[in-house]
Amino acid sequence: MGVRRAELRRRYRATSGRGRKLRGLLELLRPYRGRTILMVLALLAATAAALAPPPLAKLAIDQGIVPGDTGVLDLVVVGFLASALVYFLATYAQTYLVGWVGQRVLQDLRLRMFAHLQSLSVSYYSSHQAGAIISRLTNDVQALDQLVTDGVVTLFGSSLTLIGTAVILFVLDAQLALLTFLVFPVLGIASFVFRLISADAYRLTREKVASLTAYLQETLSGVRVVRLFATERRHRGRFAELNDDNRAANMVTVHLNAAYFPGVELLSALVQAGILLYGGIQAIGGDVTIGVLVAFIAALQNFFDPIQQLSQLYTTYQAGMAALDKIFELLDEEPDLEDRPGAIDLPPALDGRLQFDDVTFAYPGREDDPALSDVDLVIAPGQTVALVGSTGAGKSTFAKLVARFHDPTSGRVLVDGHDLRDVTQGSLRRQMGIVGQEAFLFSGSIADNIAFGRPDATREDVRDAARAVGADAFIEGMSDGYDTDVGERGVHLSAGQRQLVAFTRALIAEPRILVLDEATSNVDIHTETRIEEGLQRLLAGRTAIVIAHRLSTIQRAGRIIVLEGGRVAEQGTHDELIAARGAYWRLYRDWAEQAAA
Amino acid sequence: MRTFIRLLGFLRPYRRGAIGSLVLAALAMVGTAALPALTGRAIDDISRGDKGALRLVALIIVLAALARLALSVARRLVAGRVSLGVEVDMRDQLYAHLLELDMGFFDSQQTGQLMSRATVDLSSVRFFLGYGLVFLTQSGLTILLAAVAMIVLQPGLGLLALIPVPFVVLISSRYSRVSRPALQEVQQRIAELTADAEENVSGVRVVKAFAREAHQLGRFRSSAQRIFDQNLVATRQRALYNPLLGFLPQLGLAVILLIGGRKVIDGTLTTGGFAAFYTYVLMLVGPMRMLGLVLGMSQRAVASGARLFEILDREPAPSVPAGLPALPAGAGRVELRGVGFTFAGAREPSLRDVSLDIPGGATVALVGGTGSGKSTLVQLIPRLYDATAGTVSVDGADVTTVDPDSLRREIAVVTEDPFLFSDTVHANIAYAGAGGEEISRADVELAARRAQAEAFIRQLPDGYDTVIGERGMTLSGGQRQRIAIARALLADPRILILDDATSSLDATTEQLIKEALREAMAGRTTFVIAHRLSTIALADEIVVLERGEVLAHGSHDELLQASPLYAEIAAKGLPDQVFLNRKPTEPEVVGL
Repeated sequence: MGVRRAELRRRYRATSGRGRKLRGLLELLRPYRGRTILMVLALLAATAAALAPPPLAKLAIDQGIVPGDTGVLDLVVVGFLASALVYFLATYAQTYLVGWVGQRVLQDLRLRMFAHLQSLSVSYYSSHQAGAIISRLTNDVQALDQLVTDGVVTLFGSSLTLIGTAVILFVLDAQLALLTFLVFPVLGIASFVFRLISADAYRLTREKVASLTAYLQETLSGVRVVRLFATERRHRGRFAELNDDNRAANMVTVHLNAAYFPGVELLSALVQAGILLYGGIQAIGGDVTIGVLVAFIAALQNFFDPIQQLSQLYTTYQAGMAALDKIFELLDEEPDLEDRPGAIDLPPALDGRLQFDDVTFAYPGREDDPALSDVDLVIAPGQTVALVGSTGAGKSTFAKLVARFHDPTSGRVLVDGHDLRDVTQGSLRRQMGIVGQEAFLFSGSIADNIAFGRPDATREDVRDAARAVGADAFIEGMSDGYDTDVGERGVHLSAGQRQLVAFTRALIAEPRILVLDEATSNVDIHTETRIEEGLQRLLAGRTAIVIAHRLSTIQRAGRIIVLEGGRVAEQGTHDELIAARGAYWRLYRDWAEQAAA
Repeated sequence: MRTFIRLLGFLRPYRRGAIGSLVLAALAMVGTAALPALTGRAIDDISRGDKGALRLVALIIVLAALARLALSVARRLVAGRVSLGVEVDMRDQLYAHLLELDMGFFDSQQTGQLMSRATVDLSSVRFFLGYGLVFLTQSGLTILLAAVAMIVLQPGLGLLALIPVPFVVLISSRYSRVSRPALQEVQQRIAELTADAEENVSGVRVVKAFAREAHQLGRFRSSAQRIFDQNLVATRQRALYNPLLGFLPQLGLAVILLIGGRKVIDGTLTTGGFAAFYTYVLMLVGPMRMLGLVLGMSQRAVASGARLFEILDREPAPSVPAGLPALPAGAGRVELRGVGFTFAGAREPSLRDVSLDIPGGATVALVGGTGSGKSTLVQLIPRLYDATAGTVSVDGADVTTVDPDSLRREIAVVTEDPFLFSDTVHANIAYAGAGGEEISRADVELAARRAQAEAFIRQLPDGYDTVIGERGMTLSGGQRQRIAIARALLADPRILILDDATSSLDATTEQLIKEALREAMAGRTTFVIAHRLSTIALADEIVVLERGEVLAHGSHDELLQASPLYAEIAAKGLPDQVFLNRKPTEPEVVGL
């Protein structure tokens, strides 16, 4: 019981925070004020037209048919047709305007979220699941779409119809109206309770069908494993169980609906019988006209439908509001690496001098265990530096600070003497190339992906860059050459091929500073020997920071920095470090022993 | 039409329920159709001032409403049961069938496509079979009864009032037909936007690295604009059809007012009759729209059904005759004799005339570049594919002549990035317990220990009961690989296949996996798709493949002499990889 109450409290609370949401929504509507006002007017007209037939019927019977006045009758028919026409036109306008304004607002919301997401730093993406972020842009907007497309019209239309019908009934006959209103609380409460219970039941069916779908999806992705272990029968059994669970959950909703909808029908028939009986006796007494009675019964339908529709809206409304909460939560997230006001653009041709000035950096939540401590060094323009150290030594963190994916916890990172926090991120990154271990490609052609580094690149530029890196051979061997579609995330290419495209993409941007983070670890040996020359061309004349596993790459670097536990343990050329017989020498010795074994 | 009849076949096990719900729906409809007539009668009684008759009619209305309640409740329960039963059956059947299809089928189909069959198409069929038929009967019957009642009451007026009916049905079915593709296109465009969003979230580092935020926003904007445009198409349809469907019945009402009213004035129609007419036309509005809707629904269900039968009609392959003997006992000797293989639809064969004889317990390294046929070769042994030429045999038996389950239980595959199920660690390791027997925790722990996976599993939040993939619980590549090794160890196969692709594992993990593999390989025939000299060194025999052909074949030393390609691979790249992989001081990072 306590659980139930807590659950109810939670649900109540879920409806709070309405102020923020309302303000947010109004703000989104502001650019489309004019259309919004037109939409409301159309809605009013449509509702009025929809309500007109019962009173008109009453008029026809009492003033036309009963007194035998065909003139009045014809007039009413004309009015009837006119109201039908108004209904048609106003509903058209209203549906169209709701769709237009609603979709425009959703589009704005998507774009605003997308732009906002772009302004958030890389640490936001590290601390949030990609799936959840994507869900904001897609599922949550969809939930709002439901509310906008069906909800808004139903909410206003049904409410207006309900109020209008109540007024009409009252004007027709106050006594009969009051009698009818007796069912209102019964129906209202029953509907609300039904919605409350069925919302849970429907949530359960959605969960069940989601797990069923997920299981199917997993079986399809892992079909080889299933086949190899010959476990088909076990999977079939599990699927059948999930399938049955889903049936059971759905059966609950069948029961609920079987109780509710026929119940409402019964109520409506009972009211009709009651009105006929009570009103009929009054009519026989002469207190009520027959026209009133017919109109009353016709209008009753307008009374029951909106109540049902409104209660159906409840679930959509809740889902939409929950989505809106999450969306605003995202929009309220403060960007943590924004350009500071007055940040300057770096000059277009950097020398490429890099300086770490007593830099310490700790990831959020791990303040007592800094990833880099007291790093103090200068990298001269055009120098290639290899970072060496085991996993967790701080190599990748070092590279991320150079690209300003994070700001140092203390100390400064400087490029050509500019503190990175004082320059715009765009101007910094335009002169910086980064190639990581997993080369991420965007869906599109190979040429598109290469030109991602320099949007104004011509096909000739793209070809030159590919040739320089040694990627031209495989690209020209593909069916559509440079126009070959790489597929989602580049799945149509092998890991090595993706890496080559990423190298080309970096080269074409002509960066002054280049960061290669394990960039060659996915390239197979044959390919690597082939691109070695291209790599040299890529490094020539640029300041480069290279994190690599392979001795050949490390040996060629002008300078080697050995990191241990986030600190610089030693630095120098390969020969110097071997002569020093320190950490690097030990690594080299171990390697040589194993290679000889 | 054939598809339609085949679809009805799904209802066969539920014949009684299906017929029952139709009958119940029809009876309930009689109750609904009686209401306007009764109302009209009541009005006439009122006009005459007959209170007794009025009371009787009111009582009949209440009774009719109660009867309708009982019938409707029963109809909903029965129809719900039928609909859900059909759904469960179809889904089970589809799933079981999918599990029997050949690998070539899965190569040629996108998972998304298959998922859409199993969800969208299936639900449109079951909705039609479960509810569509009932609605069809109900609406059709309502219209029929109301039409008969009106025509009996006043033939001329009745026919006039019925004029809008065919139009409403036609327009409604047309709406249901045109709105579907429009809405599907909206969904399609939303899916594109989702893919776009996914790419930008996953590739955020690249976007930021190249400072291309504005460009990506532009792309996203055009995706969003495409959704807007298509939504507007759907909105225009809705804006036109919905009011039109509301407008047409009003014309029927106007006719009744105009002509029926005159008839009442003439005295050829009673006021009650007039009221009944008016109520009948109102009553027709819902069923008319529903009928159109169901007609559209049935067209979609037939289209969906055709797509479902496409899968269900596909022959399971490789076809396995019942009662094949189990794989004979043996040490795991594998023979390939003149084996060739060409993927369906491929022009070039992936393997040509490969002959190998691997004695039981030996370790073979397969070496060669991408596309040389290494992976294809090992997939023929557990019959993921059947050789298109020659024979593959295990312990003297041609693999196509033995029960495939018994064959596959003797073969385990470990890849560099193995597929694990989103289930507990325990269940994943115990996965091989195909016979249904429970595998004890002690056995699972033993396998994990031998696979060097024990330490990190203990550090997981719930140990062996941690569900992989839940709440962001992901494992690193090295950890997944070791779980897969434990899974293979528990299966205790005769033959082990290792796909040891290039990887950038850190030093400790590398060492651990090597130990685990050594444990796994002991006493089994092992095929290694090798990329590292250190792994190749474990092999007794090395097979160099190029473009589907065996180029050279022998021990490391023999091949250094005999194969220039092998000599080049050995000399140039391989040993270099090992640098920096030797520093076992770093504690392992658990990939949470």
